[in-house]
Amino acid sequence: MGVSHHGQRALNKFKFVHHALLCGGKSGPPHDMAVIKTKIKEGSKIMLQYSFKRVLWVFPTLIGVLLLLFSLTYFLPGDPATAILGPRATPELIEEINSRLHLDRSMPVRLGYYLKGIAQGDLGTSVWSGHSVSSLMMEALGHTAMLAVTTLAVAAAIGIILGAFGAIRQDTPISGVVTVASLMGVALPDFVAALLLMLVFCVKIPILPAIGAGEGFWDMIVHLILPATALGIGWVGYLARLTHESMVDVLEADYIRTARAFAIPQKSIAYVYALKNAIIPTITVLGLGVGKLLGGAVFVEIIFSRPGLGKLIVDAVYARDFPVLQGGILVATVLFVLANLLADISYGFVNPQIQYD
Amino acid sequence: MNTTSTGIIQKKRSLTLGWTQNITIIFKSIAKKKGGLIGSIFIAIMLLCAAAAPWLAPFDPNEQNILQRFAGPGLTHLLGTDYLGRDTLSRIIYGCRIAVLVAFGAVSLSSIFGVFLGVVAGYNEGKKFDYFIIWLFDIVRSFPQIILALAIVAVLGPSLVNVVIALAFTAFPFYGRIARAQTLSVKETDYVKAAEAMGQKPIKIILKHITPNIMAPVIVCLGMDMATMVIWESGLSFLGLGVRPPTASWGIMLRNGYKYIQVSPWTIVWPALAIAFSMIAFSLFSDGLRVALDPKERNR
Repeated sequence: MGVSHHGQRALNKFKFVHHALLCGGKSGPPHDMAVIKTKIKEGSKIMLQYSFKRVLWVFPTLIGVLLLLFSLTYFLPGDPATAILGPRATPELIEEINSRLHLDRSMPVRLGYYLKGIAQGDLGTSVWSGHSVSSLMMEALGHTAMLAVTTLAVAAAIGIILGAFGAIRQDTPISGVVTVASLMGVALPDFVAALLLMLVFCVKIPILPAIGAGEGFWDMIVHLILPATALGIGWVGYLARLTHESMVDVLEADYIRTARAFAIPQKSIAYVYALKNAIIPTITVLGLGVGKLLGGAVFVEIIFSRPGLGKLIVDAVYARDFPVLQGGILVATVLFVLANLLADISYGFVNPQIQYD
Repeated sequence: MNTTSTGIIQKKRSLTLGWTQNITIIFKSIAKKKGGLIGSIFIAIMLLCAAAAPWLAPFDPNEQNILQRFAGPGLTHLLGTDYLGRDTLSRIIYGCRIAVLVAFGAVSLSSIFGVFLGVVAGYNEGKKFDYFIIWLFDIVRSFPQIILALAIVAVLGPSLVNVVIALAFTAFPFYGRIARAQTLSVKETDYVKAAEAMGQKPIKIILKHITPNIMAPVIVCLGMDMATMVIWESGLSFLGLGVRPPTASWGIMLRNGYKYIQVSPWTIVWPALAIAFSMIAFSLFSDGLRVALDPKERNR
């Protein structure tokens, strides 16, 4: 209407260029739309097949995980009840534990009990406190999830911004900051970082709380600062370096040169067309990050006495509370498996170029 | 014609190179880059400390001197003392032994086990055995690694050997996956086909023709894994689930430092620095190793 014929053509051309650039120049020869459409169709079919297979594969894996967890108690040297109760257990106590954990039955029967319990969502009861393991898990999971999500979100935001900005403006000191941050991430494992942070901000300059998870919104945030920093410091450096490297690669790609030839503003080239493709490797490592974070959370939760999943697991190890130990590991593993599944499938959708066998 | 014959001659020459010559070439190529050189020097220092601990350490690492407890850095005790008055420098030097032992032990155990399973699975691609091994790998890979190690140590009981076993067990599927993927491409090569046509036994083909040709990515992975193993050993020891006290391990030193964090900051700072130092060393070295073993990047 308001647009002239000439203007309409220019707009169409812009739309086409915009689309081609968003695809990262991957859509093939532009004149043959029919070919492109069938290719996209084939690609999405392969993707769906892959996703389906990937989801199906989770089930045998989880069954294997259950078998391994079950056999852990079986491989305990000596009598499990004595191992749980320690050397000074009375025969009555041993008998009670044996019957409570079905340890007096044969292996297949015990496995049956175990699988039946899992299927009903019952992870058993704690040997010491008598609480059900699932209720302990639900309580602890909230704290760990809050820590992990905060850490990953903040670290990803800072890391991607630092990495992208450092790659676009190579003359700023940002790339120096990225180098230092990634070196810190390499040099300081999360529990060492946690100890040093505690030393500086709780002992030498006591401005932040050292223990607990806090109550109420602000108190919880304040209690999150040190643990999240300890967990996230390595991630900031790692994600920044990853984004930086892939951004530098993408900025040299042909389609970005094409964008420059179309006189598209530098800022939108960098932040719209390049960044979208440059963050793909960053997204994929986030899925793997969940496993590392759950592992790191074990140490950080112990050091800062946060009542999360990691602390629950380690306390169960100290107390030889095997139902809690098994349940905690199962929950952590299921979370990790789901995160990996999500990362694998989303990777295929974000990067259609990937090949599956 | 001419190019093929020189190609054959070059191949022959590289085949006649002994192990020592190959290793020298790789080390020269690592040392050419600044990072690789620094990493190699750091690792050499660590190995020296581990090997010559009794001669380098100024004190017995377990000698207690209660009167001198929590001493700061000074002339007698260069890095100070811990809560029992034990010399921190000596304990850090002895701690190198545990770090090096666990790093090399766990990494070699898991890589031998993993590579063997991976190669055999890859060689039998598509058979039931292959699927079984993949299943096995995927089960172990499903666990967050340190949590699985924790569980295994909890079951077996804390000790140096059990820590090595637990860490090796959590890492072997990663080597297995790499070895399997590499085997799938190597087994299609002409020399493997030729060996098969000559009627060589599968075990000989696997050991002599496939395994040596898939090692480059495995070795790169080895270098990176050593750093991880050092972290986890100290992590497990920090939780009291690793090496037993009074053995000097960086993780145990951190544990004691954490207990007395209000009294003496030095007891945390020194082992933390030792860990940071070894992390940088392994990371720089493995980075150099990766470049040295990659023919595309070597000549840049």
